Amino acid sequence: MLSLTLILAAIFLPLFPFSMLFNLLYARVRNPWLRSVILLVWPLIGLTVTRTFSSIPDWLPVWAVLTSALYALRALGLREVGLWTGFMATSSWALLWVLENDGLSAVQLELFAVGISVPLALMAVLTGGLEKRYGAAYLGLYGGLAQTIPRFAGVLVMVVLAVIATPLFPTFFAMLSIIIKAIPVMPYLAMGVGLVWMLWSWAGAKLLQGLIVGPKQAAVVDLGMANMWAYVAILVALVMGGVCWLGVML
Amino acid sequence: MSVTLGQRLKIRSMIYVAAEPVPYFWPMRSFIHHNPLHGLEKMPFDAAVKKGASLFHGKVFLPRSEYQDYLREGQVDVSRLEYEIGRFLADRSAVADLDMRQLLMTLLTKTESPVMLPTLLATAADVQASLQGKTVHDESDRSKEIITARLRQSLLQQRTVYESVDVLYGTDIGTSLDELVIKSCLDFFDEGQSVWRMPNREQGFFRAWREVAKRNIRFSLRGLHIQKILADHETPEDVIHHVMTTLQVPEEQWIGFFTREIARLHGWAGFIRWRANAKHYYWTQRFPADLVDYMAVRLTLALALLGKHEHRSMANTAESIRELIETRPHEAYLRHQLYGGTVMPAMAHRIETALQRNHDGNLDRVFQSYVKQKRADEARRQGDALQDMLAQASMADRLAGLPAAEFERLLDTLRAFEQQEGMCWLRAMESHATNHLLQGVNVVPPGLRDKRPFAQALFCIDTRSERIRRQLESIGDYQTFGTAGFFGVPVSFMELGKGSETHLCPVLLTPKNVVLETSVNGEGAHALGALEKGLHALKDSVLTPFVTVEAIGLLFGFDMVGKTVVPRRYHQWRKYLDKKKPATRLLLDKLTREQADSIVRAVQRAMIVKAMELELGQETETLTDELIRDLRESALGHDESYRRHAGSLGISETDLEQFIERLRKDYRINLAFAQMQLERLGRIGFTLDEQVHFVSTALKSIGLTKDYSRFILLVGHGSQSDNNPYESALDCGACGGNHGLSSARVLAQMANKPEVRKRLHELGFNIPDDSWFVPALHNTTTDEIAISDVDLLPPTHLVYLDRLKKGLTAAARLCSQERLPTLYPAQEQQEPAVAERMMQRNAVDWSQVRPEWGLSGNAYFIIGNRELTKQMPLYGRAFLHSYDYHLDKKHRLLENILTGPLVVGQWINMEHYFSTVDNERFGSGSKVYHNVAGRFGVMTGNISDLRTGLPAQTVLGNGKPYHQPLRLITVIEAPFEHAVQAIDAVVSVKTLVRNGWIRMLIIDPETRTVYTYEDGDWHKQPCAFESASGYSKESYAS
Repeated sequence: MLSLTLILAAIFLPLFPFSMLFNLLYARVRNPWLRSVILLVWPLIGLTVTRTFSSIPDWLPVWAVLTSALYALRALGLREVGLWTGFMATSSWALLWVLENDGLSAVQLELFAVGISVPLALMAVLTGGLEKRYGAAYLGLYGGLAQTIPRFAGVLVMVVLAVIATPLFPTFFAMLSIIIKAIPVMPYLAMGVGLVWMLWSWAGAKLLQGLIVGPKQAAVVDLGMANMWAYVAILVALVMGGVCWLGVML
Repeated sequence: MSVTLGQRLKIRSMIYVAAEPVPYFWPMRSFIHHNPLHGLEKMPFDAAVKKGASLFHGKVFLPRSEYQDYLREGQVDVSRLEYEIGRFLADRSAVADLDMRQLLMTLLTKTESPVMLPTLLATAADVQASLQGKTVHDESDRSKEIITARLRQSLLQQRTVYESVDVLYGTDIGTSLDELVIKSCLDFFDEGQSVWRMPNREQGFFRAWREVAKRNIRFSLRGLHIQKILADHETPEDVIHHVMTTLQVPEEQWIGFFTREIARLHGWAGFIRWRANAKHYYWTQRFPADLVDYMAVRLTLALALLGKHEHRSMANTAESIRELIETRPHEAYLRHQLYGGTVMPAMAHRIETALQRNHDGNLDRVFQSYVKQKRADEARRQGDALQDMLAQASMADRLAGLPAAEFERLLDTLRAFEQQEGMCWLRAMESHATNHLLQGVNVVPPGLRDKRPFAQALFCIDTRSERIRRQLESIGDYQTFGTAGFFGVPVSFMELGKGSETHLCPVLLTPKNVVLETSVNGEGAHALGALEKGLHALKDSVLTPFVTVEAIGLLFGFDMVGKTVVPRRYHQWRKYLDKKKPATRLLLDKLTREQADSIVRAVQRAMIVKAMELELGQETETLTDELIRDLRESALGHDESYRRHAGSLGISETDLEQFIERLRKDYRINLAFAQMQLERLGRIGFTLDEQVHFVSTALKSIGLTKDYSRFILLVGHGSQSDNNPYESALDCGACGGNHGLSSARVLAQMANKPEVRKRLHELGFNIPDDSWFVPALHNTTTDEIAISDVDLLPPTHLVYLDRLKKGLTAAARLCSQERLPTLYPAQEQQEPAVAERMMQRNAVDWSQVRPEWGLSGNAYFIIGNRELTKQMPLYGRAFLHSYDYHLDKKHRLLENILTGPLVVGQWINMEHYFSTVDNERFGSGSKVYHNVAGRFGVMTGNISDLRTGLPAQTVLGNGKPYHQPLRLITVIEAPFEHAVQAIDAVVSVKTLVRNGWIRMLIIDPETRTVYTYEDGDWHKQPCAFESASGYSKESYAS
């Protein structure tokens, strides 16, 4: 029974090779809103399953970091933004196993998960926006968004920064928390998480380079003002949440 | 393995030919304006720009929207535009009953973007089907044939092997290669910027690089096996042969391959090409390099980078790429689409996945599906664009009903027209500029003067002189002339305190005579200057910067604050601290044999005295004249009398013998070196005949042969700016990118000499004794004109000096007032004194990226009497060369003007043209990102091609062209036959005119007729300057 729930948990808090299921599903779903819902709900299901565990095996956090590193590395070579989001989600959620091991409360863990998933969900919606405008969200094909659709580009940059755990977004504090908690007990694990973080930054920079910079392209419709402010509001809420998180941590 | 001598020579010749389209690039400190397409000037302009666009991947005309802006501003001759459309349609069949004139005019004036899109697969029938809402036919076989042909062209003819690999596999070898080559070039060509320098540079570029590359661990870490390639190949030709045969490039394609390689970094290639030919250049003499070396380095690295990807089993030779195209065209096409960036985004991921899986059946399915969609997409987009354009012309309803053949003809016509549309706009803008000029010119000859002018001033032909000349003429009795800024005297100038010669003449000439600047009072270096040098030395060292920053960083902080917050006042304060240059004279008379001998002897004596102090520790009082003479004679091998001094010096004969040997070798006191010194001294100065010739020619060529005034100002020009690598681009082009004051001083000193005056008098130049040639410098940033050598003025002139200075100041202020709105459009009209202060600030403000507009806006080159345009403000758009054809019966003077100044003017004009139409490719982009490279060029960021053209801040304002890109409209005021004979006599100019690089007009003042050269013939424009509106012309049998 334990092994079955463990497998179930490994699917929803993705661990390789069970992580492939999520990515397969995510690639098949094309609707951006549905993708967003999946991104928000998926790790919460995983956390619900893990609540049944009294403890988790010692090797699991290590396996989780390795899974996270694998997907972060794969995200580096991806050009399809939808898949990139899926891989980044896998890489991020896998690290929840490390927090799980730190004895945090269920609510705290769920807040961590939501903090990680909201930027990913925004990313999924923006991916849909790119597909609608250009036929695909794909790096290196058009670029120059900063000049062509500056509002969209601005929001995209902020969301990507949130995904790759830049201060003061919740993801940043989640990563900080993992590393701080891991250093005394499993320093090698902390190093692994640091490496994953670096890979995220690299992947994010590549994504922005492939979309944002470059000469102006043929005109397409930019993000509406109302939509832009909606994104800004969510991002500000995330930052506020992140700052509050800092209080919790301290 | 080494290749035969014949093969080596063949490779060298191939590279020589391949590099011809790439223009020279001179070092930045003497920036030379050049035509980026100089190598293509043998072709007609329209064909050359087409080839240049493909070779350098640049744009050669402005976008249509920019021309439409000019049209709205009234800068385009609409009648000429209509004429161009009519001419285009003249030899084309009609398209049904469509009004093609109206359609094309709509296309030009109302449609912002090109209508004809690049299509490969969609046919006219597909486009028409798409417009009619029908399905596009599937013709897979036909598509495959087209695709294969296009792949052959794109991958085997238009690209080098690694470029093809990049576009097939997304490897980005080209970028890596450029970076590595640039780093290698920076190492080798450094002129003192680096602290640690590349070893063995005296062996040449390739050999020095080879030695370093073989031991370069960074190459090994990157997986580049350079050693393997270099092991068996010592000479650059060997390596080139090896790489080209390894890459299996057929030998008949080598020249094209080399050209593409060279054009990739055309800035570096142009610099190396210039440097290899500049035999007098100090760094060439020390560290030789040429394009064969460059090609060998480049190809070695390219092969190594290709080798790095060998494990991916990809096509990485010309032959294997050909095989891929022939046997697996579907794979090659999908790869080309995906990695070449032309894929339809919606299918990009599917194609990428199919290519990764590499399953034949799947690839073929994806290919079929992609081609079908691509074709439909091309047809749809083309149809939409066409529909929009026809709607603007109110003809949209006509489109669907056109028969297929007519529809196809319509597309062909539109495509052909858009391909040559740039020339239509260009001609129409030039026509407007020409008409504007002709409406303002005055062909009435000047009347006789009742008295001589207060002062005459000879300015450079530079466009910036036009404004100051006009202002000067407006405030008093000043007569001005235009001449090339080196005043016709090619000089190799050795400035006081500098150890090298500077050529003060257009780069087309090589000066034979050297002029030395010598100090009047022989003062040494100033203490503050020495301190400054010391600080810079500390800054440039490897370790000292750490200590320096701690110790004296604050001093630099004060400097920074001063320069930033109050630049003008700070500069004035610094001027008190900085010592002024001492009074100097020019050594410009030829030395006699005796004088030269005496100088050599004096130098040798001084060297011996120094050597004795340093080597033997002798005090000055022990060094008698006799001793020095004997040592000198002995060192020169004339006698052995030195031995008798051994005792008095307190050293053995052997030691003294060794000392003599050191004098010969280390101190170069020997016969061979003395002979070389004598030869060099022989270059100093001009003979009296030469001086008379230069002065008389200078005066005659501008028509100044009578009515000489008391002051004859020779005004050179130069710019002043801080923190500006492009400063010399704003200096005098006729002086080789240097300030023009020295040239002015040379001619003034010659012309004021009594012996010269006497000989001039004999030649008919009746220059009064009270006429004095006064050199001056026009600071083009501040408009200030500073008189030089005032201490040489005769006392009789001093009473008039104040009036002269006040006149020059007034003209300068008015000129600043006129220029101010061009630099600060938001500024309202300011008082002249305020404008002057703002211009002065520009000159010393180190954050100012645009201290002045320089030659931007140049459009005309006018050769004729000043009266021709005196009454017409040209706002700094014209080069003005004074010329009086009455004094030039054999048109030799006109030929000289055409040979030098006009050609330089055309280079300047073309540099501005191409820097404006494509600032990123032919210009140098924004100055903000520039970094000085090796002290001879600038790069964008830390690694880039050498930026060869003009920066964006020089030709663009707010992202829009400030400079109007036109070909140089040249006007010669002279009888038609006279001018044509002169043009035909100068082959280079004749070629430029016939190929349309220069728009040539002749204004015949005797018949009051204008002749224009166009379409291979001269055309007469009757009474053009009286009714120059509208375009009409009749052929004139020349």
